[in-house]
Amino acid sequence: MNSAMSERPVQIVMIEDDEGHARLIEKNIRRAGVTNTIMPFASGSDAISFLFGADGTGAANKGKPLLVLLDLNLPDMTGIEILSRIKSNDHLRPIPVVVLTTTDDAAEIQRCYDLGCNVYITKPVNYENFANAIRQLGLFFSVIQVPVSE
Amino acid sequence: MMQAAANGKPLVRFQPFLLGLGFLLLIAISTGTVWLVNRAAADAARLAEARLVQNKLSNLLLNVRRAESSQRGYLFTNNAAYLDDFHHAEPDARRLIAELQQLSKSNSRRRATITRLSTLVDAKFAELSHTIMLNGAGKREEARREVIGGKGREVMTSLRKLIYQAIADEAELAALRIGQSRRTNNLLLVVSLIGAALIVLIGAISIVLVQRNTRQREAARAELAVTNANLERIVAFRTADLTEANEEIQRFAYIVSHDLRSPLVNIMGFTSELEALRKDIIEQVKSLSTELARVKTQSVEADGSEGAAEEVAIDQLGHDFDEAIRFIKSSTTGMDRLINAVLKLSREGRRQFAPQVLDMDRLIAGVLQTVAHRAAEQGATLDAANLPPVESDRLAIEQIFANLIDNALKYGRAEEPLQIEITGRATASHVIYNVRDTGRGIDPKDHQRVFELFRRSGPQDRQGEGIGLAHVRALLRRLGGTIALSSELGKGSTFTVTLPRGWPADNRGPHE
Repeated sequence: MNSAMSERPVQIVMIEDDEGHARLIEKNIRRAGVTNTIMPFASGSDAISFLFGADGTGAANKGKPLLVLLDLNLPDMTGIEILSRIKSNDHLRPIPVVVLTTTDDAAEIQRCYDLGCNVYITKPVNYENFANAIRQLGLFFSVIQVPVSE
Repeated sequence: MMQAAANGKPLVRFQPFLLGLGFLLLIAISTGTVWLVNRAAADAARLAEARLVQNKLSNLLLNVRRAESSQRGYLFTNNAAYLDDFHHAEPDARRLIAELQQLSKSNSRRRATITRLSTLVDAKFAELSHTIMLNGAGKREEARREVIGGKGREVMTSLRKLIYQAIADEAELAALRIGQSRRTNNLLLVVSLIGAALIVLIGAISIVLVQRNTRQREAARAELAVTNANLERIVAFRTADLTEANEEIQRFAYIVSHDLRSPLVNIMGFTSELEALRKDIIEQVKSLSTELARVKTQSVEADGSEGAAEEVAIDQLGHDFDEAIRFIKSSTTGMDRLINAVLKLSREGRRQFAPQVLDMDRLIAGVLQTVAHRAAEQGATLDAANLPPVESDRLAIEQIFANLIDNALKYGRAEEPLQIEITGRATASHVIYNVRDTGRGIDPKDHQRVFELFRRSGPQDRQGEGIGLAHVRALLRRLGGTIALSSELGKGSTFTVTLPRGWPADNRGPHE
C-alpha cells in the first residue's frame, strides 16, 4: 500500500490472548486498508521468545521494522511486564508499542506511558468507537516511520 | 471472682447499717454522759449545801453562846461594856436563821428543825433581854434569881442538843450525797469506757470492711482491665478480618468487572460484524430468490403474486434480524454501563485518601461553579454560605457534594423554580452539612433504597445508572461519616452529611 514505508514493510506483532479480540483487531486493521503482516501471539511468553530471540538478547530483531500491539491482561504475565522488558532492551527499545486494553484506569495508563508506551488505546465496548480507534491506528501505521537501524 | 463478689455484697450492704449503729451508740453514750455529768454536778451542789447548813448551824450556836456569855459578863460585873457582844450577836443569829430558812425550802425535815430552832432562839434571847433589862433597872437580885432559876440554861441545853442533832443529820445527808456522787462518777467512768471501747470496735470493723471492699474493687478492676484488653484484641481481630474481607470484595469486584468486559467486547464486536454481514446475506437471499423465481417461471406459468410474497418474507427476515441485533446491542451497552459503575466504585474503594483541612465555602463554591451554567438554564438558584471547615479528603468531599448537587439539579419540578441551598454547622466533634432542594422529593418507601447500587426512585425520565448515591454513601462510610435523607414527595429533599471534624486516626482506608 504505502510507498513511503520502503521495501521492508512493517510487521505487526499482536499479543492478545482473547481470540475474539484478536480477530476483531485484525478485521478492523484490514478494513482500514492496512495490509502489513500480522503475527498473532496468544501468550506473553510466546511473544517474548519471538521478540528476544533464541539467545534472549533481542539482537535477532535489532533494526527490524516491527510494531507491537499489546494487550495488558495476559494469562501468563502482565502486559506491563512485556512493555517494560521491551523498553529496557537496547535492541528493542525503538519498536513502537501500542497498548490495547479494556482497562481505562488513569493510573494504569500513566504507568504505561511512563514505561515508554507510544500509544494507549482503550478497547471500548461501543464497537463503532473501537473500530474507529483501530482505523485511526491504521492511519498511524501509514505515517509512522519505523527506524531501520539505530 | 464472681463468688467473692457475691460474698462481698451483704457486707457492703451491712456497712452503712454498722455505721448508723455506731453513730446511734455514740449519741446514746454522749447523752448518758451529759446526764451523768449533770447529776454529778447536782450531787456536788447538794453536798456543798449540806456543808453550808452545818456551818451556819455551828455559827448560830456560837452566836447564841456569845450572847449568853456577854449577858453573864454584864450581870457579873455590872459593866455595860460587856453588852457589846450581845447587841452584835442577836442580829447575827436572826440573819443566820433567815439564811437557814432560805436553804431549807426544798427540805421539809430541815425546815421543821429550823422552825423549832427559831422558836428556841427567840425564847433564849427573850430570857437574856429580860435579865439584862432587870439589871439595868437596878433589880440586880431579881435578875440573879432568874438566871439561877435555870430556865435560860434549860432553853440553852435544848438549843444545843437540837443544833448538834441537826448538824449530825446534815453530816448523814452529806455522807449520802458523797456516796451517790461516787456512784454517779463510777457510772460515768464505766459508760465512757464502754463508749470508747464500742467506738474502737466499730472503727476496727469498718476498717476491715473498707479494706475488704477495696480489695474486691481492686480485683474487679483488674478483671475489667483483662476483659478490656481481651475485647480490644477481639475488636482488632474482627477489624482485621473485616478489612481483609473488604479488600477481597474490592479485588473481586475489580477483577470480575474487568474480566466481564473482555467477552462483552467480543459480543459487541461480532454483533457489529453480523450487522455488516446482514446486508450481504439479505442481498444474497434476495438475488437467489429472484433467480429461483426466474427458474420457476421458466418451468411453470408465471405467478407474480408469489414473487411479491417472497419479497415480503425476505423483508420480514431482515426486520427480525435487525430487531435481534438491536436488543443485543442495547443489552451489551447497558451491561457495559453497569460494569463501568462497579469498576468505578471498586476503584474509589481502593483510592488512598489525602486528608487536609478544607475551606468548605471555597470547595462548595467551586462545585457550584461547575454546574452554574446548567442551573441558569433551568432557572434554578444555588445558595451556600458559612460552611464550617472539615479535615478530610478533598477529592472525596468534592465528589460527594457534586453528586448531591447534581442529583438536586436533575430532579427538579416543572411547576416550580428549583432552589438548592447548602448549609452547615459544627458540633464539638462533627460537622453537619445539609443539601436542601425544592425538587420532586423521594417517596418515603424509597428513602433507604436510593442509597443502594443500581436503584433509583420515582419516574425514570432522567439519564442515570443509580450509582451516584451509592457512591456517596460508600465514600462517606470510608471517611467515617454518614448520610441521612429527609424528603417529602412533591416538596423537596434534604440530604444531611455528617463528618468527623478531624481526620479519624483509624479511618477505614485501604490497608495496603
